[in-house]
Amino acid sequence: MQSCGFALVRQLAHAALAVILAVASPAAAYAQGRGLTKPVVLPAFDAARPVCAKPRGLKRELVFVRDNDREFMQGVGRGLALAAADRRLAYRVVRSDNNATLMVKQINGLHAAKTGSIVVAPIDPPSLSPALRRVIGRGTYVGAIVPPPATTILNAPQYETGKVLAEAAAVHIRTRLGGKAKVVLLTHDNLQFLAPRFTAMRDTLRKLPGVTIVADISPATVDKAGGYRTMKTILLAHPKVDVVLGADTVVLGALDALRETGKARPDQFLGGIDGEREAVAELKKPGSPYKASISLASPVFGYAMGRFASDWLDGRSVPQAMDILPKALTRANIRQYERDVADPGAVYADPVRRKSYLRMYGNICFDSRDRYIDFPWSSERK
Amino acid sequence: MASSRLALGVAGGLVVGFLALLAIVGMTVWLVARSNTLFHDTAFQRDTRIAAVELRDALRTAESSQRGYLLTGNEIYLAPYDTAKARAREQMADLERLIVTESQQPPFLARLREVVDEKLGEMDQSIAMKRAGSDAEALSIISSNRGKALMDEINVFLYGAMLNADEKSSLFEAEQQNNAVILRWASIVAAFVIVLVVAAVTYTVYRNRQEIAQARDEVRAVNLTLEERVETRTQELALARERAELLLSEVNHRVANSLQLVAAMVMMQAKTVTDEPAKAALKETEARIQAISQIHKSLYTSNDVTSVALNDYLGVMLEHLGVAMRNDGHTARLTSMLDPVALPTDQSISLGVVATELVTNAFKYAYPAGQSGDIRVMLRKLPRKRAELVVEDDGVGMGAAVRPGGTGLGSKIVASMAAALKTNVEYIDRTPGTAARLVFSTAP
Repeated sequence: MQSCGFALVRQLAHAALAVILAVASPAAAYAQGRGLTKPVVLPAFDAARPVCAKPRGLKRELVFVRDNDREFMQGVGRGLALAAADRRLAYRVVRSDNNATLMVKQINGLHAAKTGSIVVAPIDPPSLSPALRRVIGRGTYVGAIVPPPATTILNAPQYETGKVLAEAAAVHIRTRLGGKAKVVLLTHDNLQFLAPRFTAMRDTLRKLPGVTIVADISPATVDKAGGYRTMKTILLAHPKVDVVLGADTVVLGALDALRETGKARPDQFLGGIDGEREAVAELKKPGSPYKASISLASPVFGYAMGRFASDWLDGRSVPQAMDILPKALTRANIRQYERDVADPGAVYADPVRRKSYLRMYGNICFDSRDRYIDFPWSSERK
Repeated sequence: MASSRLALGVAGGLVVGFLALLAIVGMTVWLVARSNTLFHDTAFQRDTRIAAVELRDALRTAESSQRGYLLTGNEIYLAPYDTAKARAREQMADLERLIVTESQQPPFLARLREVVDEKLGEMDQSIAMKRAGSDAEALSIISSNRGKALMDEINVFLYGAMLNADEKSSLFEAEQQNNAVILRWASIVAAFVIVLVVAAVTYTVYRNRQEIAQARDEVRAVNLTLEERVETRTQELALARERAELLLSEVNHRVANSLQLVAAMVMMQAKTVTDEPAKAALKETEARIQAISQIHKSLYTSNDVTSVALNDYLGVMLEHLGVAMRNDGHTARLTSMLDPVALPTDQSISLGVVATELVTNAFKYAYPAGQSGDIRVMLRKLPRKRAELVVEDDGVGMGAAVRPGGTGLGSKIVASMAAALKTNVEYIDRTPGTAARLVFSTAP
């Protein structure tokens, strides 16, 4: 789960760069072999679509090409492995170790090896895109974690993520703080694609008349130390803070600052995004100001992508895009969440639980692979 | 008791009313003073807030000017830049002055000053680079996001200052409202207390007046009874007095009659006696009895039995004595000049006896047989409740007077009576004649 948000965001940034390049091209709109290059609104996924032809001459194999070994990617890999095992697909992991060139080579190698399905977390989307387009063109299933191109593109709805966290905070403000609160937003200026998160937080909190956002500031470095320093600065001017929202890592730093200055209280609401392990550990502590962490359940969407890979190779239609929905982890639901990520197959098999984690859009199969997504897709596009 | 209760009630009411009034006045004075302080504190917070807002606005204006220039290279965008910078520094100084004056220096002030300086420096640097034609370097400063980060931090501090000022102003306002409510309630309570006091005092006065009226009615009723009893008793006493006076008058009448009877018997005895000295003695005795009898006559004819109007008594007695003496052949002329003098009954008897003796002596001895003259009796009122009785004649005088057959009894009687009157008789040789003078007290 660690830094899943950052990973997604970085990849989204790369994707954005790719689409800018694409848009700059004269033949950018839609071209044979280039997939959908202009933003389109995708309908909901229809699981009952007729079957397509099965890809020919490809190995019934699933390969996870991942940028590094961070916790979030480990979760994806665990989901993929479980799905491959369930569907009797061969599964292996290819590590790029944050090396974009190596990743291009690895994709090209998989192309040469006629691998039937790939899930990739791109390091440098612009350099990787041509290789991925080639792989898709031959009929290989490509699930991309955020940046295009991909037959199934995964995204995290940033606005929704911020909104879920802010709504959890709003409930706390209404029920525990009497509707009045001084709020600190620790933003993330370096990643503009995260801006919708904080827009959502501001939009949600604006509806509470008793809420005052006393600080809306980005730590110089988005890590625990940055959150600590920024919170210490804020406390100089605002000794009483009721709510702190931001990424888990900076909010954990802010919590340290509050505790050090004796300003931490059990009735405070500190909430972060990413579902980091330390944040989850804080959630479990009785009386901790840390009340919520928004998590993107990587094993669950990893499992789903593994199932889509299998379906693709079997000639079935799969979603063109998928949202991994943000989950607000609290002391009340953390146990259930841990059970879900430990057994993502059970979640996927249960339509209700699956719907609480995943939202699927569009249909694509081997026959319609030329309609793959090749623009930075988001279900929240205005 | 009612009046003391009234005084106590009224005094208590006045004290309570006064205390209530004192409480209102004291509270009003305090609240006005507190309101003044709060007004000044609120104005101070308003100034602090204005300084913070002005500083933020100045920095924003400067930043907007900088960004416009960096984007377009048009110097027109820099027109407000220097003014905005100067204003930012002024407002920073104002803010420092205000916040530091307020209490101790707030912890963020040093950092705020630092980041404001850095922000202004960052803008100056980027503008200088643009002017020097180093567009890329200028833009790299912007792209570093340092300017936004500084502005965000400045906003945190300035918003903190504004929020602090707002919160304090709200507290002051709330306190003022509370004070107004307190004053209103205190006034209501005090007014209620005063009304209660007035009602209590009014009730006390009303009750007291009722009790006084009731007491007055009772006293009036008692007085009426008492007056009736007094009147009855007075009537009874008057009746008794009338009876007593009547009885006393009757007694005096009887005594006078009895003395007259005795005098008549002495007269009759004198007529039967042939011996001249005896006859003379009996006649003197008869005269003396007459004098005493005359006293009793005047008493039963008078309304006052305790004193005798000496001039009336002596007048009647001298007239009877003069007639008696002329009947005995004496030729002297008796005249009297009597001032109105009142004397107690017993003393009047003594004085009457003295006067009888002195006049009788004058008739008998002042003028030799065949010689006539005047005998004058004068009763004069003297100062200091005294009077004098003078019996004088123009006769032969005491040295030449021959007292044939005189026993000296008259002189003894006179001396005895004078002693009873606590005085004596002074005999004055008038040449011719003699005056006997007796000064006596008329005090009862």
